[in-house]
Amino acid sequence: MNAHPTYFRILGTVALALLGFFLPRFLGGSSHVYDTLGTIASFSAMSYGLDIILSDLGEISLAHTAFFATGAYASAILSVDYGQGAWVAMAGAVLAALALALVLGLITLRTREFAFSLVTYAAAVVCMNIAANWDFLGGSDGIVGIPPLALTIGPLSFAASQPPQFWPFAYGLLLLTLYVVHRFRRSRLGQAALMVHMNPRLASMCGVDGNRVRLLVFLVSAPISALAGWLYAFQRAYVGTDLFDTYFLVLMLTGVILAGRRLLLGPLLGTALLVGQKSFFSLGAYGDKLVLGAVLVGVLCFCPKGLASLWPRAPGRALRQM
Amino acid sequence: MNIAQQLVNGIIIGHAYALVAIGWTLLLGAARLVNFGHGQIYMVSAFVAWWIMSMTGAPYVLAVVVAIAAGAVIGAIMQRLFLRLTLSQDLVNLMIATLGFGQILEGAAGLTFGPKPETLTSPLQAVTFDFGPVWFTAQDALAVGATILVFLGLHVVLNRTRFGAAVRMVAEDPPLVALYGIPISRVYISIFAFEGAAVALAATLIAPRTPILTSMGFEQVVMTFVVVVLGGIGSVGGSYVAGLLLGLFTAIFSALISPAYTTAAVFALLIAFMVLRPGKLAAGGNFAR
Amino acid sequence: MSARLQLRDLRVAYDRNLAVTIDHLAVEPGTLAAVIGANGAGKSTLINAIANWSRAAPRLSGEILIDGEAVGGKSADHLARRGVVLVPEGRGVFMGLTVEENLRAGLFAARAGGRAYSLADIYTLFPRLRERRSNLGGSLSGGERQMLAIGRALRMAPRLLLLDEPSIGLAPRLVSLLLETIRALADGGLTVFLVEQNVRAAIAVADSLYLLERGRVVASGDVAAMKDDPRIIEAYLGARN
Repeated sequence: MNAHPTYFRILGTVALALLGFFLPRFLGGSSHVYDTLGTIASFSAMSYGLDIILSDLGEISLAHTAFFATGAYASAILSVDYGQGAWVAMAGAVLAALALALVLGLITLRTREFAFSLVTYAAAVVCMNIAANWDFLGGSDGIVGIPPLALTIGPLSFAASQPPQFWPFAYGLLLLTLYVVHRFRRSRLGQAALMVHMNPRLASMCGVDGNRVRLLVFLVSAPISALAGWLYAFQRAYVGTDLFDTYFLVLMLTGVILAGRRLLLGPLLGTALLVGQKSFFSLGAYGDKLVLGAVLVGVLCFCPKGLASLWPRAPGRALRQM
Repeated sequence: MNIAQQLVNGIIIGHAYALVAIGWTLLLGAARLVNFGHGQIYMVSAFVAWWIMSMTGAPYVLAVVVAIAAGAVIGAIMQRLFLRLTLSQDLVNLMIATLGFGQILEGAAGLTFGPKPETLTSPLQAVTFDFGPVWFTAQDALAVGATILVFLGLHVVLNRTRFGAAVRMVAEDPPLVALYGIPISRVYISIFAFEGAAVALAATLIAPRTPILTSMGFEQVVMTFVVVVLGGIGSVGGSYVAGLLLGLFTAIFSALISPAYTTAAVFALLIAFMVLRPGKLAAGGNFAR
Repeated sequence: MSARLQLRDLRVAYDRNLAVTIDHLAVEPGTLAAVIGANGAGKSTLINAIANWSRAAPRLSGEILIDGEAVGGKSADHLARRGVVLVPEGRGVFMGLTVEENLRAGLFAARAGGRAYSLADIYTLFPRLRERRSNLGGSLSGGERQMLAIGRALRMAPRLLLLDEPSIGLAPRLVSLLLETIRALADGGLTVFLVEQNVRAAIAVADSLYLLERGRVVASGDVAAMKDDPRIIEAYLGARN
């Protein structure tokens, strides 16, 4: 092996990233296109949070809607009630999600499989109940009037009140998320998570502390979904208890599973297909729900390894994925 | 504040919780399947009963029967879809698949029945019994009676019949069942159909208490999770006790403290239980007892 | 009269690894055939393949005939109902069912073809089971569990009884008792296909022997002729230490 392939890889990645940035323009550049792609970016960022729990740790967290909502609520409160800027809101979203993840992670430390899923689900229900009843969190009306996203980096400042202006932020967050997930999978923690998933006994014999790994992965995963929530709060200018809706949960799960687990671009492609359908070929709210459910059940029952597994892949690539 | 009435309410709600949970308890105990589509089967069954009554003017009893049949069919369809995942005990994928199945039901019900809240009317809802400080409706009495009958019946079938033995065998060691000459998919289809039929029965008996909405699935059965877990995974008797205690807890909590936080309180209780006694969650331990 | 069990060109493979290759093997009705061989020789793979039962879903090719009828590809529960009854290695009974429930649970077709043993027959054969009839399978000793496993297999009117290592984990006295019972069943007309690691015990009861090595039959024939075969003696010595 010489250095060239790596070089090409980096060049290719940069080219792809640039191409992605101009994608809305290639698709016509209408406000609707920008809006859809922005939503795809924030929802797939949300899915990536769940992705590393589901694909790497092998558990189903049903609490990720809560992390997503936590990020959104923290941003809304900081920017509406305290008049803080987007950076502070971002820090608040991450810190709040970390705190929640720490509590939840400690609670679920010794639970596995459906016990884990049930506890995380119960936690999401408790969070929703609190959000719906606590005036501080807007109660059932939610929090309205979130200002447009405005970020200042040194002398530069960006503001986004229209979908096309919003797109760079959404795209930037998506790239950041992809980078984090990519690094996570190559990190020692990512490897340890996979070991704990595949063979917990062997992992513990190798000196990997399963509970510690699970907690840390949880702490990595929660801020990812929370950042998506941060973005989504500004995008919609409103947060409410509908953020806890099962729709988001099923969207995340389907996004992760549709293309195939442990594929870096998998959740992005999955979410893009789902949100794209909803945005361009909508069958109405119920029809979309039906499609979402049918896609999820169809993939799991007939092609549980995801659509990508139908693709005959070169052995070299397959190995690298492992 | 009428404590006696709260106790009566608690008993009624508790039986409702237990009846809604029974199918799921069996499904979890026998097939290790966490059915997140449970609430949507409840919702669809309630709407089927309502639709039969409002379209054909059929009496309530007939609507109940049709809804139970519809529930059983939905359960059977689920089994057909999920057989491969169930046989390979791919629990993670199964759980997600049931979430998706619930979405399908909710979408289909929305398309069929529309977004408006409807009322499933039972003639028994209007009949009330007054005993001094407490009162309840004939519908409540029916729900409590039916729950007790279903639990007793299930207990007898599981512990006294050959079919019940087959269900317990499937719960213990699915591959070994084949060596006893028993086709496992048929046992599974009965279990799934029972899950559907039982939750449909629950829906037709309990839904007349409140308006029905196609989006109600999750909320209506949220307590089921708690009943199933607190009762001991797959334990029939445990579900009954857990349902009853939970009914009393919610009635008293909402009367004394706050109705708005009842669900949160119950789920906090659940979380505490699961954290303190994770060992109790191993499936199959006291199944069918 | 055709053989009760015939295997022709049977290949059993896990992934791409061929685990068992049998070119030809036939068991006559009313006889007791024993397959012996070391650990990992493919004995369990072979017997599970005949019953089409496995937790690991291997790939099968070739022909399996029962009384001349090809049964390859039929599901394990179908075969069990038709009298091809396997008692698997180790846990062959349900721990959560009582002894009597285990004995009553089996389902067989009228066409199973073998002698149907009644509950009373089983209790006569294994009086110990009658004493423990309402105890849970999980509370039985190893020997009792094996009796129960064989008893419930007999209840299914087997034409062909497939026994996978019935002696494993049992005290020597129990092993000879159990194998004597199996011998008596064969004398009564039952066809038994037995897999045994305990070579001495197998030689003591079998009519014919097959020595399996790395998935292939390396020696076979009547016990009388095979007893002094050097390869059998080697296997026997190998099993002793």
